[in-house]
Amino acid sequence: MTAENWKSRGKFFSILNKNIFVIDEGKSKDVLVILHGYPTSSFDYEKVLPELSNRYRVVIHDHLGFGFSDKPDSYTYSLIDQADFALQLWHKMGLKEVTILSHDYGTSVAKEILARKNHNLIPIKIKKIYLCNSSMRLEHLHLRNMAQLLKDKKVGRFIARLTSNGYRKIRKRLKIDNLNPEVHSQYDIKEVWNNLNSDEGKKEIHLLSNFINERYTFWHRWTEALKASEIPIKIVWEKSDPVAIKEIAIVLATENINENLEWIENSRHYSILDSPKYWINLVFKINDSKPF
Amino acid sequence: METLIKDNSFISSLDWQKKGSLVPVYNKNVFTIDTGGNHENCIVILHGYLSSSYDYYKVLPELSKNYRVIVQDLIGFGFSDKPENKYFTMIDQTDYVLELWNLLGLNNVTLISNGFGNLLTTEILARQNHTATNIQIKKIFFCNGDIPINHYNYLDIHNTFKDVDSEKMISMLTSFGIYKKIIKDYFYDETKITDEELKEKWIQLENNNGRDIINFIYHCVRERKIFWNRWATALKETENSIELIWGKEDKITYDWLGISKEDKITTYKVSLIEKSGHLPMLETPQEWLQCVLKK
Repeated sequence: MTAENWKSRGKFFSILNKNIFVIDEGKSKDVLVILHGYPTSSFDYEKVLPELSNRYRVVIHDHLGFGFSDKPDSYTYSLIDQADFALQLWHKMGLKEVTILSHDYGTSVAKEILARKNHNLIPIKIKKIYLCNSSMRLEHLHLRNMAQLLKDKKVGRFIARLTSNGYRKIRKRLKIDNLNPEVHSQYDIKEVWNNLNSDEGKKEIHLLSNFINERYTFWHRWTEALKASEIPIKIVWEKSDPVAIKEIAIVLATENINENLEWIENSRHYSILDSPKYWINLVFKINDSKPF
Repeated sequence: METLIKDNSFISSLDWQKKGSLVPVYNKNVFTIDTGGNHENCIVILHGYLSSSYDYYKVLPELSKNYRVIVQDLIGFGFSDKPENKYFTMIDQTDYVLELWNLLGLNNVTLISNGFGNLLTTEILARQNHTATNIQIKKIFFCNGDIPINHYNYLDIHNTFKDVDSEKMISMLTSFGIYKKIIKDYFYDETKITDEELKEKWIQLENNNGRDIINFIYHCVRERKIFWNRWATALKETENSIELIWGKEDKITYDWLGISKEDKITTYKVSLIEKSGHLPMLETPQEWLQCVLKK
C-alpha cells in the first residue's frame, strides 16, 4: 500500500474552507472515529483498518496540516482548532453517536472534545473514548528527539528544513530503536516523510509542534475533563512513556477516582504498526478466546 | 448628557456585591449583576485581567436605563469563585461565559469588553466562525486592551508582554502601595481615581485568596501566543459589527491602533476619547457612555 493508494481509498470534505482527507470504511451502524498521532497521518491505521471495519464503520481523518489534508496557511493551528475541525467534520458527515479512538496528539484533541462534552457545548453523543499514549515507536522517537528540537523557536525552523537529512535520521533511529526488524521494511517511512514534506508540510512541522506547549497549558482543563467524565474511557499506556505516567499519577492522586476510567498497561509494546493484531486484542478485546 | 454621573456615585465593594448574585455555572459560582431587565436589548460586559466588574460601576446606572445589562466577574476575579490553584484557561473562561448567557437566556447581545475580556470576545468569535456556538451577537465594542490583529510584530509584542507586562502584574500584587501606584498609571489624570476606589478594587482583588491567580501569569502569556492566530483569523473572518472605544492616552496597552494601519482594524469605527487612559469607562464615564449609547 503506497500513500497514493491510500489517498484513492479516501475522500475529501471541505470543512471551514479547508480540505480534510477522510477514510470512511465499514458498514456497521457503530461508528468509530479515529484521531491520529503526531506527526503522522491516517496512514498509520492501514494495518488495523480491516479488522476494525469488520466491527465498526471506521472514520479516520488527517488533522489539518497532516497527511493529505490542507496545510495551514498561516502561523499555528492549535489543538482547540483541531477539535473544532473534527467536530465540524463529524457533524457534516451526519454522525450522531461515535466511539473515539485516539493516539498521542490525537488524545489531546479527544480530551478537548471530552471537556466540551462535559460542559454541554456539543450535541454529538460519545459512547466511549480510547486514549492510547505513545504506543508507536516512530511517535515516541519524535516526541523525544524531533519534537524537542522543533519546540525550540529558533532551532525548530531550521530543523524542519533539513529534509533529506531528517528522513535519514528517522530511518537510522528506527533501526536502532526497533526490536522488530519487520517494521521499517513494512512501514514505509519514506511515505510518511513525503507526506510531511509535501506542500509546505516541512515549514509547518515547526508550527504544529507547538502542541507541546498547549498540553502544558491545558493540563488542568483536560485532567479535569478526565475526572469529570461520564463517558467510559479506556487508557492504554506504556510504562516507558514518561508523559503518560505523570498523567496517571495526577489523576490517581486525586481523591475521587472516576470509575469510568479504565487503565490498561501495554506492557509488551504492542503497536498498530508492528503488532496490529495483538494491539487490537489488547485494546478492543476482540478475539479474546483465540489469540493469533 | 452633562449630569449623567453625579460626583457622589461612589459605591463600596459591599454595596456592589449586594447588587448582584452568585449564579452556579457548571461547578462554580459566577458573580453576576443583571439589571434593567425590562429592556429587550441586552448588553453583556467582560472585564480585564486582575480586575472585576467594578470597573463599570460608574456607567452601569445609565446603561441600564436603556438596556438589560449583564456584568459578571470572570472566574478567579472579584466575587466569583477561584480556580483552586489550577490554571483556568481562556477557553474555560469562554465556556463559562457562554454557559452563563445560556442560563440567563441571552441571545443577540451587544458585547462590550476591555483588556483581557477582548481576548474572550475574540474566542467567542472564533467559535461562531467554527459553528461551535449558536450565540448571536448584535454588536461588539472593544475598549482599551489587547486586540489579536494580524501577526505583524507578533513575537515582539508577545515578548514585551512576557517581560514587561507580566512582571508589572506580579509586582503590582505584592502590596497595596505598589498596586495603587501602578493602577494610577492606567489613568491619564490620576486624580480621576480616588484612594477609596482603589481600596475597593484591591479588596475585590484580594477576596478569597484572589492574588494566587498570579502564580499562573506565565500560562496566560503562553496561551495568548498559542491562540493569537486563531483569534486573528476569527477577527478577520467575522461578520459581526465591531467598534472600538479607546482612551487615547493609554500608557499601558500596546499601541494596536498604531501598528494596525494596514489591517482590517482600520475599517472599524474608532471612537477616541481625549484625555482618557486605559480605563475610559472609569476615567471619563460620560464620554464613554456617549460612544456606546449614541444613536
